Amino acid sequence: MQTDHKIVLRNLSALVDFSNLINSSLDIEFILNNLLLTCFGKFHTSRGAVYLADKSGALRLSAEKGIKKTHDYIPLELNIHSYKTDKEFINYLKENKIVLVQEINSDKDIIGLILLGGRLTGEEYSEDDKDFLQTFLNISATAIQNSTSVLELVDLNKNLDTKVQQLSTLFDLSKEFSAILEISQVSKLLGYSIIGQLLVSKYAVVIINEAGFEVLDSKFPKDILKRTLSDLDFLTLNSPISCDETEDKNCQKLSEIGIELIVPMQIKQNTKGLILLGKRIVGGSFSKSDIEFVSSLGSLAIISIENSLLFEEALEKQRLEKDLELAKKIQQNLLPSKLPKMKNFEIAAYNQAAKQVGGDYYDAIRLDDNRVLISIGDVSGKGAQAALLMANLQAFQKSISKLNNDLIDASNLLNDLVSENTTDGRFITFFWGILNDETKQFESVNMGHNPPLLIRNSKIQKLKLGGMILGVMPTLTPYKSEVHELQKDDILILFTDGITEAMNSSNQEYSDERLEKLATELNVDNADEALKIILDDVKKFTGSTEQSDDITILVVKVN
Amino acid sequence: MADFKVSSREQGQVRIIDVRGYLDAHTAPELENEFNKLIDNEQFKVVVNFNDLNYISSAGLGVFMAYVETMREHNGDIKFSNLKDDVYNIFDLLGFPVLYEFYDKEEDAIVKYNQ
Repeated sequence: MQTDHKIVLRNLSALVDFSNLINSSLDIEFILNNLLLTCFGKFHTSRGAVYLADKSGALRLSAEKGIKKTHDYIPLELNIHSYKTDKEFINYLKENKIVLVQEINSDKDIIGLILLGGRLTGEEYSEDDKDFLQTFLNISATAIQNSTSVLELVDLNKNLDTKVQQLSTLFDLSKEFSAILEISQVSKLLGYSIIGQLLVSKYAVVIINEAGFEVLDSKFPKDILKRTLSDLDFLTLNSPISCDETEDKNCQKLSEIGIELIVPMQIKQNTKGLILLGKRIVGGSFSKSDIEFVSSLGSLAIISIENSLLFEEALEKQRLEKDLELAKKIQQNLLPSKLPKMKNFEIAAYNQAAKQVGGDYYDAIRLDDNRVLISIGDVSGKGAQAALLMANLQAFQKSISKLNNDLIDASNLLNDLVSENTTDGRFITFFWGILNDETKQFESVNMGHNPPLLIRNSKIQKLKLGGMILGVMPTLTPYKSEVHELQKDDILILFTDGITEAMNSSNQEYSDERLEKLATELNVDNADEALKIILDDVKKFTGSTEQSDDITILVVKVN
Repeated sequence: MADFKVSSREQGQVRIIDVRGYLDAHTAPELENEFNKLIDNEQFKVVVNFNDLNYISSAGLGVFMAYVETMREHNGDIKFSNLKDDVYNIFDLLGFPVLYEFYDKEEDAIVKYNQ
């Protein structure tokens, strides 16, 4: 009786000591270590192990003592519900001379197993021993649960910290990206943030454009990357892909050059770019949260990239507009601000440049008291280049008009000068003629221009005689001229194709026929009136359709 | 905008980079320039002294990742010293201690190079 009493007391005090000890720590290793040592002391055994179950019930070796490490046996599949029948596990028990396996229970679940080897005394474990062990285990269960909860909390905390860090990175970049940056800078910052956050050393940023794709930045060999990418169909890439998890052939090729993760950068569900990531230096695959992070980063970056592309486009557009404005100014300054007054002739002219500056030109230059040179031309091409060639033409014409040559010599010289000064196949259709106030004669040369109309008594003559278009090649055959004796009420109409090719909303042209018909019906007192009637008719025809070419017209009425 | 300053000084064969203030996406290019200068001058043994650094973002961390391989290929390294706790926590969180050496004091890092 006395001895029993002592044993009970000793057992009780051992329990209290044990309880105090393991509940004083949250360190799982310390707890399990002490559980095993206490069992060893109490039951006189030298071998034991503890397996703990995770949430899914999978058992994992968490502590062991005195057990020959059997590396070839890795109980990956061991489960709390099936361990009793797991052959490999039973073998493992035998090999390590484990004789007692007892479950560790919490209030609700089995949270683990304890394995103990045979007693050194050779005795078997009695029912009392097993009961006593169970008490140990019950006390341990609380401590184990506490410490795993703490571990879970620590884990949770770490995940939370990582999330916070990711968010602050996103915030940091969104701040930075909100300013308009060079594209190269965007991709560099994107790269730094990715390698800093995820510890990858290799990455690439690719944007997709009309021409296919452009590699903005790459730590992979660029040539191979480009070659591999050119075989891919990016637009079908709508969500991140881990290259080791897919059978996709494209992906396998990328995987060969070390790419593990492909994350599309999207704007409104359209894939506009890709972020390619290599292996993590610290090992392990990318977590769902990592991938989400890269996706968010990509969304931020692609908006910024798109913005800077748009900005570049806008700049380019601005440059073009400036160029056009300049061309328009040049053109306007080349046209005569005042038309010469004559005794027998009345001159009226009109020029309207289209939005895209073309190369229409007209002039009226007084040569002497009796003679005025009138001209009209259309320089090929548009924009500043056409305007500059037109400026040349005007200068040549002004100079030649001072030489007092006859019109044919002047035409030959003008063509030589223009030919020498035109490049890349530019040319000018040109017509000029001299009105003589004294003789009422009109001598003209046509160099490939729409033939001007001479209207007399509702009949039309077209002034076609001349020669080759200006500027195609130097003069080989001299130009020819025609001379008309003008009569009272004759009307001369010089125009450019901007008139006859003016379009209406059904894509029809105003046409030579319509102009000629109108010309024969003209019954006017002066040149201005004739000009107005023609322009009004063109306007009536085109309606609200935007003018696509310059419109120029010069009218002479004989008094 | 928070300030960031970076400068470097000679300490025997080792180059010390002092970083101050806020190292984020905005200021990371300055640090990058500093590393480029060192590489141009073939100085590959680097200690970064974080004594006066108050904040580091992932873009800042990325700069160290971007240059460490070059340094190591040339028998050098990037070692870190004098980190404030919250700055170290960010390094720790992202797994840097596996890849880089951290020291409490700049001198300890220099000693390590001279061993």
